[in-house]
Amino acid sequence: MSKDQSALGAARLRFENVVQRFRVIQERPDTLREVFTRVFHHSSHYHDFEALKGISFEIFDGEMVGIVGRNGSGKSTTLKIIAGVYCPTSGVVNVSGKVAALIELGAGFHPDLTGRENIVLNGLLIGLSKREIRACEERILDFAELGEFIDSPIKQYSSGMILRLGFSIAMEVDPDILLIDEILAVGDAAFQQKCLARIDDFRRRKTIIYVSHSTASVRQLCNRALLLDRGVLVADGCPDDVMARYEELLQQPMEARV
Amino acid sequence: MWQLIREIQKNRELIWALALKELRVRYKRSTLGFLWALLNPLLMMVILTVVFSTVMRIQIDHYSVFLLSVLLPWTLFSQSLAYAAESIVGNGELLKKVYIAKSVFPMAAVLSNVINFFFSLIPLLILLPLLRFPFHWTWIYLPVPLLGLVLFSLGCSFFLAMANVFFRDVAHILQVILSAWFYVSPIIYSVDFVPARYRFFFRLNPMLYLLNGFRLSIYYGLLPSLQSATASLGVGALGLVLGYWIFRRYQDTLVFYV
Repeated sequence: MSKDQSALGAARLRFENVVQRFRVIQERPDTLREVFTRVFHHSSHYHDFEALKGISFEIFDGEMVGIVGRNGSGKSTTLKIIAGVYCPTSGVVNVSGKVAALIELGAGFHPDLTGRENIVLNGLLIGLSKREIRACEERILDFAELGEFIDSPIKQYSSGMILRLGFSIAMEVDPDILLIDEILAVGDAAFQQKCLARIDDFRRRKTIIYVSHSTASVRQLCNRALLLDRGVLVADGCPDDVMARYEELLQQPMEARV
Repeated sequence: MWQLIREIQKNRELIWALALKELRVRYKRSTLGFLWALLNPLLMMVILTVVFSTVMRIQIDHYSVFLLSVLLPWTLFSQSLAYAAESIVGNGELLKKVYIAKSVFPMAAVLSNVINFFFSLIPLLILLPLLRFPFHWTWIYLPVPLLGLVLFSLGCSFFLAMANVFFRDVAHILQVILSAWFYVSPIIYSVDFVPARYRFFFRLNPMLYLLNGFRLSIYYGLLPSLQSATASLGVGALGLVLGYWIFRRYQDTLVFYV
């Protein structure tokens, strides 16, 4: 899809001056006793930390955008805001269409249920209807290559099998925006190839946002990149330029952060 | 309130699947499996009947039916609350990764116990002919007190699921509160046993209105007055509105504390 064409339409995703503030509590009071002692001693053991300090960008259909940055720069926070997990402190977020996240696959699996039962449960959790799940169950089983293990409880699976199953389900959501958080290290080389082919096919039609530490994979896969540093968007452009900035940034010593 | 109805409508398949999962996981590892849903209230009834009817000599005909008629709904209530309190904390990892309406977890906790309640009616139905106790036509009234009780349980569940995220003490305190509540509610006795001057305090207990209809229709074979039926539904609706209102106020910040 050409850029001009997508630029004419409304943005698929729009961030306008988004701020995400966390209350970082050293030893959060988990119990009432701790709350009482804290109240009596008038001490506040927290400070506010801004994970995102006013970020603005727009993403259009057909783009695959890589988000890079050092640890704690706000990459995952950005993904979680897009996914709707976090509610930003201020700013405007417009997301049109269905979002699916490949963030830590298999988070919704229950170890005592079989693979087949987990497909249904996990599918419902990520927003599919029962009918949709039944329609794509065969494809999921096919893609995940689990063989007869599909009717055994998940706790007997290897971690690779769980990841394969999680990936296969998430790919069936057929979202408008796909969020990927560093999961391309899924399974063996053959399965990775299959995943990449699937992502490539997806990219032609929809929007992908990919968070990674690996500059090589961003250069290879993405047609645009964002560089975050300590909650600020410092670069936005073609992957080669942005990766150059990122590598520069990595050379700098990490200063003490708030 | 419209919000809640919309959420139920949108997530009904997920709530149902989560409730079934809850039941399946609860009984999966035991040899007797689902029979425990039937055995549990029965054993509890045997213990309480032996203690109160034989040892303490409470003069009530067919004490076991007298007891079971409200013990079963009480179990629905107390188990719902116990499950709901852990429901959001227990799914915290999931909530941090995928957007899911938080209300589905307490609702699934209540629903699984409603299903359990229907199964626990089976031993009661078997017991009635064995004890030559009449099967009153007033059973048809049961949906009314059941609705009141479920609404009230939902309200408490919303509140507890939320509160336990902020203070993990809630789940522990709940155990104590529930066992105290059991003894101040007319379950093992009836309100007539309470000396007149204390009866005012007993009238403040919502359980009185919620459980009344169950005992009247199952044990006494009577229909409650319009006033009593309204009280049961009214208390239920009030509990739900209050609980859900508080839940909604905090549901967006839950994810930072789970």
